[in-house]
Amino acid sequence: MTDPPSGAALRLRSVTVRYGARTALQDLDLEVPRGQFLALAGPNGSGKTTLLRAILGFVPLGQGSVELFGDELPSLSVAERARRVAWVPQEETPRDDVPLFDYVLYGRYAHLGRLQGESSTDREAAIRALRAVDLEGRARDGVLSVSGGERQRAILARALVQEAPLVLLDEPTSHLDIAHQIDLLTRVRELSRDRGVTIVAAMHDLNLAARYSDRIVVLSRGRRVADGPASSVLSEELLARVWGVVADLRRDPRSGTPYLLPHHLVAPVTPSPGAFLGRGPVHVVGGGGSAEPYLRALSESGYRVTAGVLHLLDSDLETAESLGGLTAVEVPFAPIGEEARSRLRTLLESATIVVVAPFPVGPSNLPNLEEVRRVLGRVPIVLVRRPPGVEWDFSGGRAKEIEEELRRGGAQDVTGPAELLAFLAAEPLLAKAQ
Amino acid sequence: MGTPSDRTPGPRPAGIRRVWVLALMIVALGVGVLLSPLLGTVAIAPSTVLMILFHQASGGALFPNPCAGASMPASGCSGLIEIVWDARLSEIMLAVVVGAALGISGGTLQGVFRNPLADPFLLGISSGGTLGTAVVVVFRIGVAEQNLLLPLFAFVGAIATGVVILIAARSRFGSVETLLLTGVALSSFLSAVLSLLLLYSPSGSLQVDFWLLGNLGSLDWTQDGIAFGVVLMAGTLLATYGRELNLLQLGSDVAQSLGVDARRVRVRLLLLASITTAAAVAFTGIIGFVGLVSPHVVRRVAGNDYRVVLPGAALVGAGFLLAARDLSLAAFPGSLLPIGIFTSFAGAPFFAYLLFRRRQTTTIGGP
Repeated sequence: MTDPPSGAALRLRSVTVRYGARTALQDLDLEVPRGQFLALAGPNGSGKTTLLRAILGFVPLGQGSVELFGDELPSLSVAERARRVAWVPQEETPRDDVPLFDYVLYGRYAHLGRLQGESSTDREAAIRALRAVDLEGRARDGVLSVSGGERQRAILARALVQEAPLVLLDEPTSHLDIAHQIDLLTRVRELSRDRGVTIVAAMHDLNLAARYSDRIVVLSRGRRVADGPASSVLSEELLARVWGVVADLRRDPRSGTPYLLPHHLVAPVTPSPGAFLGRGPVHVVGGGGSAEPYLRALSESGYRVTAGVLHLLDSDLETAESLGGLTAVEVPFAPIGEEARSRLRTLLESATIVVVAPFPVGPSNLPNLEEVRRVLGRVPIVLVRRPPGVEWDFSGGRAKEIEEELRRGGAQDVTGPAELLAFLAAEPLLAKAQ
Repeated sequence: MGTPSDRTPGPRPAGIRRVWVLALMIVALGVGVLLSPLLGTVAIAPSTVLMILFHQASGGALFPNPCAGASMPASGCSGLIEIVWDARLSEIMLAVVVGAALGISGGTLQGVFRNPLADPFLLGISSGGTLGTAVVVVFRIGVAEQNLLLPLFAFVGAIATGVVILIAARSRFGSVETLLLTGVALSSFLSAVLSLLLLYSPSGSLQVDFWLLGNLGSLDWTQDGIAFGVVLMAGTLLATYGRELNLLQLGSDVAQSLGVDARRVRVRLLLLASITTAAAVAFTGIIGFVGLVSPHVVRRVAGNDYRVVLPGAALVGAGFLLAARDLSLAAFPGSLLPIGIFTSFAGAPFFAYLLFRRRQTTTIGGP
């Protein structure tokens, strides 16, 4: 490996890039210290790829300068650049089918003399790199015959044998399954932590960026709008402002890194007619698909619906969101936390009526019933009768106690969506709200 | 991670196979060169031909009387020697050199343009060179110095074509499509200029017509020497760019990120291929399809590594043209069939086959 002079790995000074009339990067200053894993985030067209291409010298700068390890880019030969910075493009379209081994060995080019063949050291480096990306057994397979994900890993292997102290990755996980996403990013992080390699990676997945990078730079319309460690950069406000997405911010209980649960767009693209114009809102507590028939029946009859707390991946959540309803959401398999609970409280307080769907109750979702009990007497409550002979209370009897309490306090029993609609039609409160 | 493996790096069977393929091609070509003088417009006994060859090659030390037992023409043994050595062998060597030049140029251009259909003919480089030589023949410039003027004008024509392609490409940031389309347009344009020139030529139009079809006849060792020298130099230089061409197949940006100065290498290779092509067309006229077909034959046998494709295409091109010369003599003994007709007979069906096959697997031409 070359030993470049000391200083920052990468320094951009007021870099501006224009494509015709469009400004892709506007007056960007950026300094990346050695060994840092920097994630570039931002919506499509925000300038992430342009920034990487500017660092590689592929796009002419409108103004400003790029420095690699203390040297201005134009002062470096193409080969010297290749010894300092490696690039893992988002995708590559090789013209010819060559064995993966040869493909990876191409990474040694900048280290070889004009007529010098690859030595056994170079070959060993290629084998090691293929092993590192889990492709050792496929060294002889053609690059056009392997899958997109395998090719992406082979490209990473090629960047590894290039032994550059700065590695640029453009959406490195876009073609990978989740296991290989984690594996690749773990390796990239090791590269920066153990070997001091500087990483700049454009990443769409903010949660992966938060988990693996040291620093997140958020671009929007060619400008930097946020910069810092994930804990200070990621926020519900940022997601709404830059991506136009409503999300809940959580914390990964294991690593403590922030975690965003994206919800829906700030302005729903196709709001269902009932969502804003109809009667209600009717809040449905459910889960595991139990709320679906009630949500649909309500929405079709023109009621606005809200739902929750539902766990992410629950089919009821999908239904509620497709109907345009507001929901309270929790991470899969986790007990309902304080944030989701307070959101549920808000939704319950603003509901005209609350429907409790026949959902199985365990310790993790018991808070749903507890919160319903809190509004007893202030908001009318409808309980859907449980089908007989089916065990549903896994909370040690507490769920049954609460439901009994609700009945004593005036909650109505109904059987099925039709009866619910009939009940609602006769309900003066709802007629009044119309 | 990773499957346990005790496989060691080092030479792989595929690499060894490539070396063997090249070695085999060299041996086959050598045998072809040795046996080809047996064929010709005049019937000479095979044993006499071989004896003459060894006699001449050894400077007269071997077979001091090579014509023993042969039926002599009026000029005696020296007449036979002239036919076998000066006429046949020089023609054969020219076939080898020109075929090698066209093959390696075709391989290079296919790599530079990342397009399986690129070759000196398609891109107008052959036409440019031909136009240059046509000027010499039509206007009877320096009849005595034709051995030097023909290649010189061919170089000017071919290189000028290459430069025009490059200049046109420069305005669009070197996109490969632009280069290719410019070449195709230039090729049509130059052919039109050539036709116009022949239509209004004061003299020698038949000679140029015949020569346009591509032929190896009416040659001498000087032409061989000039062609051989140029092709050997430019071809050897080209062959050292195998690794760069391999990397260029990944796209200019990727190649650049790996350390290849893509634009500079492209310019250099295009100029070298133009020079090599010019050396070929200067003495033989337009011989089509050798540059197109030869690289594909090598790919089929030895894979896509340009370090093998380039020398391999030179060897296959040499063999192809030599075989075309031999077959045309065997099929039409005593005739002077222009060799360009023969290569097109064999090359055109292959071209069609290539088109058909490519369409089945992938789209043509997209870089």
